Amino acid sequence: MSPVSEPPAPLTLAGAAPAVPAPLPIDGARTRHVAILGNPNAGKSTLFNALTGLRQKVANYPGVTVEKKTGACELPSGRRVELLDLPGSYSLHPNSPDEVIARDVLLGLQSDTPPPDLIVLVVDATNLERHLYLALQVIEIGRPMILALNMMDVAHARGIVIDERALEQQLGVPVVGIAAARGQGLGNLRRLMDRDVEPSTMHFRRWPPHLERVLHHLEARLPRHRDLPDRGRTDLALALLLDDGEDDALARSAPPEVLDDLAIVRGRLDRVEPAWRSDDVEGRYEAIGEILKRAVRSAGDPRDVTRERIDRVLTHRVWGVVIFVLLMGAVFQSVFAWAQPAMDAIDFLVGRFGGLVESLMPAGPLRSLVVDGIIAGVGTTITFVPQIAVLFFFLCVLEDSGYMARAAFIMDRLMGRVGLSGRAFIPLLSSFACAIPGIMATRTIDNRRDRLTTIMIAPFMSCSARLPVYALLIGAFVPNRWFGVLTLPGITLFSMYLLGILAAITVAWALKRTVLSGGRPLYVMELPPYRLPSWRSVTLTVRDRCLLFLRKAGTVILAVSIVLWFLASYPRGGPATHALQGRIATAQAAGDASQVQHLQDQLAGVSLRESFAGRFGRAIEPAIRPLGFDWRIGVGLITSFAAREVMVSTMATVFNLGRTEHDVVPLRQILREATDPVTGARSYSPLVGVSLMVFFVLACQCMSTLAVVRRETNSWRWPVFMVVMMNALAWIVSFAVFQGGRLLGFG
Amino acid sequence: MNAGTRSERTLDRLEPGERGIVARLDGNPGSIRRLMELGIVPGTEIEVVRRAPLGDPIELRLRRVHLALRREEAASIHVSGL
Repeated sequence: MSPVSEPPAPLTLAGAAPAVPAPLPIDGARTRHVAILGNPNAGKSTLFNALTGLRQKVANYPGVTVEKKTGACELPSGRRVELLDLPGSYSLHPNSPDEVIARDVLLGLQSDTPPPDLIVLVVDATNLERHLYLALQVIEIGRPMILALNMMDVAHARGIVIDERALEQQLGVPVVGIAAARGQGLGNLRRLMDRDVEPSTMHFRRWPPHLERVLHHLEARLPRHRDLPDRGRTDLALALLLDDGEDDALARSAPPEVLDDLAIVRGRLDRVEPAWRSDDVEGRYEAIGEILKRAVRSAGDPRDVTRERIDRVLTHRVWGVVIFVLLMGAVFQSVFAWAQPAMDAIDFLVGRFGGLVESLMPAGPLRSLVVDGIIAGVGTTITFVPQIAVLFFFLCVLEDSGYMARAAFIMDRLMGRVGLSGRAFIPLLSSFACAIPGIMATRTIDNRRDRLTTIMIAPFMSCSARLPVYALLIGAFVPNRWFGVLTLPGITLFSMYLLGILAAITVAWALKRTVLSGGRPLYVMELPPYRLPSWRSVTLTVRDRCLLFLRKAGTVILAVSIVLWFLASYPRGGPATHALQGRIATAQAAGDASQVQHLQDQLAGVSLRESFAGRFGRAIEPAIRPLGFDWRIGVGLITSFAAREVMVSTMATVFNLGRTEHDVVPLRQILREATDPVTGARSYSPLVGVSLMVFFVLACQCMSTLAVVRRETNSWRWPVFMVVMMNALAWIVSFAVFQGGRLLGFG
Repeated sequence: MNAGTRSERTLDRLEPGERGIVARLDGNPGSIRRLMELGIVPGTEIEVVRRAPLGDPIELRLRRVHLALRREEAASIHVSGL
């Protein structure tokens, strides 16, 4: 039996009788826009997914990183409306970029988004008291609205009985009970959405007299515009009064002379009505109390027994921490291990595909561009997808179940020490696997400065792409000595991870005091009830994340890989390569396969050394000499910008080893024994190896990271800042390590 | 403040399990407004449910909502005994 259809049939209400829906007048071909709005955790996205199915688009609002989700929804009359999933908001007086968008759309200030013709306001039926706050604010603007009481099944189970008709009368808007996660009540909601809903005429707010006078005066001075109902002008006036001047959209909505007067008006109000900034809040909660007295027939059990039982374990002083560590370990391990086979498979397939194309195309620059530039670039992009998919699968399950808020609750104290919130922990942890999904996961951090700080320090976590480089250098330069139960290579590897963490803490601390300083944001977080995640929304989130990455970051990655390919392949055909090509032809004619291979490896080495990348490596040699690096490492630093592990194959090519990615033993030996062609002295001491590893820990050697930072911050400023800051830091620390080491007599 | 109630305390001083009625909030107007919008208006009954394993933040229960708040910020909420 479905609890939502219990007698007295709360779902069918007088206003929404499924009789003949009165279709709206069709004004030309204009699509009707319906916006879904609600508190975070009201089940807004579940409802959006249920109404649109797979027909949804995800984009960004211009200039900010708030996600804009739209989708088509078919109504019983056969008409289609465009559904907009507004960001979850507690209030129309915004406290985060997400809430600013919701307010701007509703007040008609968001130029790229037409104000909605109808608002579906979703509230949690088990928690009407708090959720109605936003509903009242929206009703006051004077736009047509439907109130959707979500999670009626849960409310019923907890003994909460709501008189929907009484609630309709109290609010002046149609009310419909639904259980979006189970798909219940959606038919009634769709029928209501098909009707011509009139805006409510109710008034809930009570201003103190002085404020009321000021608002009316201010309202009269605001220009009229068709995107905002007359009733909503009071809200715009109040928003202007409450704003601290940081809000561009608001500032554009009022003439300059009005903006100039605001400070004076505020000052006057502060004197005569000190609490004016929050008086309407109290008034609204009083109104909610009155409404609920008439509309709720049984309040049910005020305590959520299930949640309390679970919380007693999950936030327990000891068990809570143990479970947290285990869960995080499992997530981390999965990103590392589950994604690996898929990444290997992609690598293999891309390699095979490249080989196939290579065999079909005639040799030449075009083939090289297609195989080594385009296919390799696309391959790089796709290999990130498994990690992104696995991480977002877990993130979504943890978030939707309600655990993420508990994790942040547990970690907040620790992260607070570096000026971050508990929400920064998981993105940083994921960055140990790869900074790309880690940076994408910072979206759960609502404070802008905290989020940017987290993005900026995420690449310091030693990602899996650094591991092959560490392995090569440790294998080449660090002797396998035992210290008790530890080996020197093990200690070295651990130190590299530790160095990254220390750098992250230092940089976060510095950023918070300089470029990202600002008033301490109010830290308040809702701990939502536990819920079973819906598989549909988990699948959709994972799909959206992967597609967005491929579309937005993938294009940049592809472009940069083509540039890098060009740098490593041109100019081609110098005298040295011609001579080698001649010798290869001779060897081929003689059938000496091993000689052919040997010469081809040499050819690859000569080509790379004479390419732009090779010349670049030589050109930057003076800059990296003080770190102990010669031009050959310089070439590797340039090519590894495609991905850090490319360092290994570049070194192999530079030393004429050909493509020996899977067998680095000869490369280790060569690095150890490499000599300077001029002086004949050893090129690389163990100290150089350490200096190079330190450089790899700290430097931003990853175009994909920059591409994703560009996408997540919506500007080139932050990726440029990141590259400069990280590489400067890497240079300074490597310099200190190398020169300090030399002074101490190492190397 | 209200005569007859026991002395006022700030919320961070309450032990887990203790309850109080919100008397007033102080601090910057923007934070006060946000806390009130989340339901912490004068007259509301608040329970401190627990502290996080590391001692901070604290979990509050009010109007069927559970909120996590840092103790530093909880110190700006004054409550009186029941």
